[in-house]
Order: sequence, then C-alpha cells, then structure tokens
Amino acid sequence: MNLDLHSHSIKSDDGRAKVENYCEWIRKKELPLDGFVLTEHRQFDDESDYRNLEDEYGILILKASEVETDYGHVLIFGVNTDMRHAYDFGAINLSLDHVIEASERCGGMAVPCHPGRPNVGLAAHYHERGPVNSVTIIETRNGGSRAGEDEASIHLAEAYGYRGVGGSDAHLVSQIGKCATRFDTPIRNEADLVAALKNGDFEAVSCQT
Amino acid sequence: MSDVTIDKKLIGEEFDVIDIVVKQDEALTFARACGETHPRFTDPSHENFQIPPTMVAKFVGRKIMPEGLKGFFVGTFDAGKVVDIFAPIRPGDKLRASSKIADIYEKTGRSGPMTFVVHRMEFTNQNGVKVACVDWRMVRRTPLKAE
Amino acid sequence: MSLRFQDIELGDELPEHRPDIRLEIVREFAGAARMDAAARFTDHDKAREEGLPGAIVPGIMSQGILAAMVHGWSGDGIIERIDTVFRAMVVADTEPICRGVVTDVDPGTRTIVVDLTMQNEAHETTVLGTATVRFSV
Repeated sequence: MNLDLHSHSIKSDDGRAKVENYCEWIRKKELPLDGFVLTEHRQFDDESDYRNLEDEYGILILKASEVETDYGHVLIFGVNTDMRHAYDFGAINLSLDHVIEASERCGGMAVPCHPGRPNVGLAAHYHERGPVNSVTIIETRNGGSRAGEDEASIHLAEAYGYRGVGGSDAHLVSQIGKCATRFDTPIRNEADLVAALKNGDFEAVSCQT
Repeated sequence: MSDVTIDKKLIGEEFDVIDIVVKQDEALTFARACGETHPRFTDPSHENFQIPPTMVAKFVGRKIMPEGLKGFFVGTFDAGKVVDIFAPIRPGDKLRASSKIADIYEKTGRSGPMTFVVHRMEFTNQNGVKVACVDWRMVRRTPLKAE
Repeated sequence: MSLRFQDIELGDELPEHRPDIRLEIVREFAGAARMDAAARFTDHDKAREEGLPGAIVPGIMSQGILAAMVHGWSGDGIIERIDTVFRAMVVADTEPICRGVVTDVDPGTRTIVVDLTMQNEAHETTVLGTATVRFSV
C-alpha cells in the first residue's frame, strides 16, 4: 500500500489545506494513495478526529509530527504521551540524537526529512559536524524539493546505508501524493506504521508529473 | 543572537491607528501593473468600480511595529500576506486602519532559524463598516530572545 | 464572459498565466504602492549592491498578479480571501509562470478555493497560496 508520509493541514502555521479537501482531491484525481500522514509543524494534533473522513473516503489518515532539531527537521511517527514528555515538540533546536533515542524508547520512530535541503536538512549538517549514528531512515523523496535536493538525499542514504521514505510535504491540497512510500505489509494505524518502518519493508516512490 | 528582545505580551495590543483616503490614480496604476483586466478595476465609469482586493495590503501605518518591537523591523523580509475582503473598497473611501501584533513565533527554514511577527491591520470605512483585514507576516533570519 | 458557479468543478485548472514583470512595470507598481523609495524594487544595479540577484518584485505585486489571474479566469467572481506565502525572491525582467487549480467547491456558500503558485524559470515555486472566490450566479 502507498502512504504519503509527510503532509500539513491548516493546523500548521504554513499549511493551507483542509484534511477533507485532501481526501476529495485524492478521490477526484484517482491518486495511487491508500492514505496520508499529517505531520504538523512543532506540535502533535491531539484534538482532531478523522475517523469519519476515513470511513467516507476509504483513505487511511494517520497523525504524526515534524519537529526541528540541530540537524534539521525530523518526522516523528507513533507519537504518544511518553514521547511528548520526553522532549518539547515546540522547540526549534532539539538534539537529533536525543529525539531519535527518546522516540524509539517511547515506541515511535524518528525520520529526518528533506535531508538535501539547506539548513533544515541532514546533509548540510553532516558536512559540517559529521554523522549521527542513531539515524537509520531518512526521507529520500520530498515533494517540495528543489532541483538536486532529492539527489543529495539519495546520495546520503547510499553513503550511510539508510532506508528511504517518501512524502509530498504538501501544504496545499493540490500537492498531496507527489511522493509517497510503498509498504509491503498492510498498515491500519500508527503502531503498524512504526512496525513497518522498523522492519524495513518499504521504498520511497515519486509520483511527480 | 540578535540584541533585539521580543516580548510576547505585545500580542494583541493595538499600537497604531491611521486615516487613509483611497486614491483613484493609485488604484488604476496598481490594477494595471498587476494585469487586472476586469473593468470593475480598470474603468472608473464602471457601475461597480473598486480597488483591486490586494491593494489594501499596500497601506502601512505611522508605526510598523509597537515601541517594544522597534528594532525588529530592520533586516526583515516580507514572508506573506493574508488579505480578507468583507466589502468593496472604492476610490474616495475614507478608511480608518488599526494595527496590532497578531502573533509571534519561531521556526527554522531553508535560510536558517527565523522569527516571525504577524502584523494585523483592520480597515473600517467612513460608514463604520469593517471592509478588510490584512495579516502581514514579517520574518527575520536571526532568532530573537523570547521573554 | 464570466464563469458561473455551476460550471466549476474540483480539479479545474486556470489557464497558465505569464505576467509582465519588466522592470518598468515593477517601477510603475512601486510608485502606486509608494514603495519606490526602495531601490531594490526599481534598479537592478542598486539591488545587486544590496546582495540581491537584481531588482525584485514586491511581494504584494506578486499577490496582485495572482489575484488578477483569478479575476481574468472567473470574471465576476469575488475574491474574499487571498493568502500568499512569499517563499523566494521574484526578480524583475524574468518570465515566471502562474498557475491555479480549483481544490474546493462549496455549493452551500457558492465559494471555491483555488491553489495558486508562481514558479520562476528554474521551476522553483517562489510564491504559493490560496484564494477563496465567491460567485453570485
């Protein structure tokens, strides 16, 4: 199944898309997506309940976060209460090493995103300060990448033996599904997603036209 | 780090009020330069002649920032504008605009750590009708010290 | 010819728009917007002295260009909200492409939402946003 692992709704400061409109767009455009993950900036959206939309549109909608670390932005999957006590999701200079360690200890998974992007991507920081040993997965396909940025991410993954995921980084409705991650196993919830990421049965796919 | 300190208590406090008279020649030039072709924006004889909706974003007050944020504006970039239009604004209208800081937040982007200040300007016309609201997101690349 | 609400569908694309951002037009805009005191909007050489790639198009002109594209397509449609994010500089005397696509259609309020983008010649998105447009018929 294909999941877009990186998207933002109006809950993010720079998101301009309503979740229902993502669903309508996926159906109207017949996108090859079985679901998407909302990764709101610097927060976890505890309030929203998208189960009715899931039922209406037959699309899986999962919730996650995008936090900001000293090595760039990081997607956090499997967010739970323990994790939210372990570090401040609203901070902009978290320690990547700590975020990865705490996320995994609390049952989740941390995945640096758009690694090829200046300042907010892993590659530039690796170049200056060396690698972080606890990284195992990075986002190698990002729908918001400029020319050369995904290539830099793929090169980084090859150099360090990381697995790669894909996500659109959609902030507008029409951007959803530009990139995704293909999983070999069915995913029904956040726990399944974390398990699949840990098992490594996935690949990043680009659906850019 | 910058030497400018941000006091987030400034959020919500009105710090400027100005009166503006909307000028027809400026509206026509604004419309032409943006490529507007509909006669309601380009033809003063049109029955519904009005200024282009985004023109309201050009108005600035006497103060761009409250006293407590005076140093912030130097070195800022325009990160975006949200324009809400509630009723047409026509040349000759006399507008009263009030300014406040709607939000202050920090994040990191392609160019590094950034602080955003959202300046909100609300416009009321000569009949007391609220006609527009503009949120202006100003960004400065160096993070400021939050209190 | 004005569009009618009933003729609009989710996914409809606006005609691609190539705005005229020659420096003389940007100067004209800067004058009307009372921004012409800032040389970065009116003079390539002075803008380069400030470290910019050339004279830049004011963000509110890019926003106005996108609004004009929506008006040019919708006719009598009324923009109730336009929300633009200025992601990168737009340089005068270049040839950007503006696009729009309908991403929400609400019969209850007779409004639509259009996703808006402006891309530079390197296909980088310099401005993005949305417009909410109301139709009376």
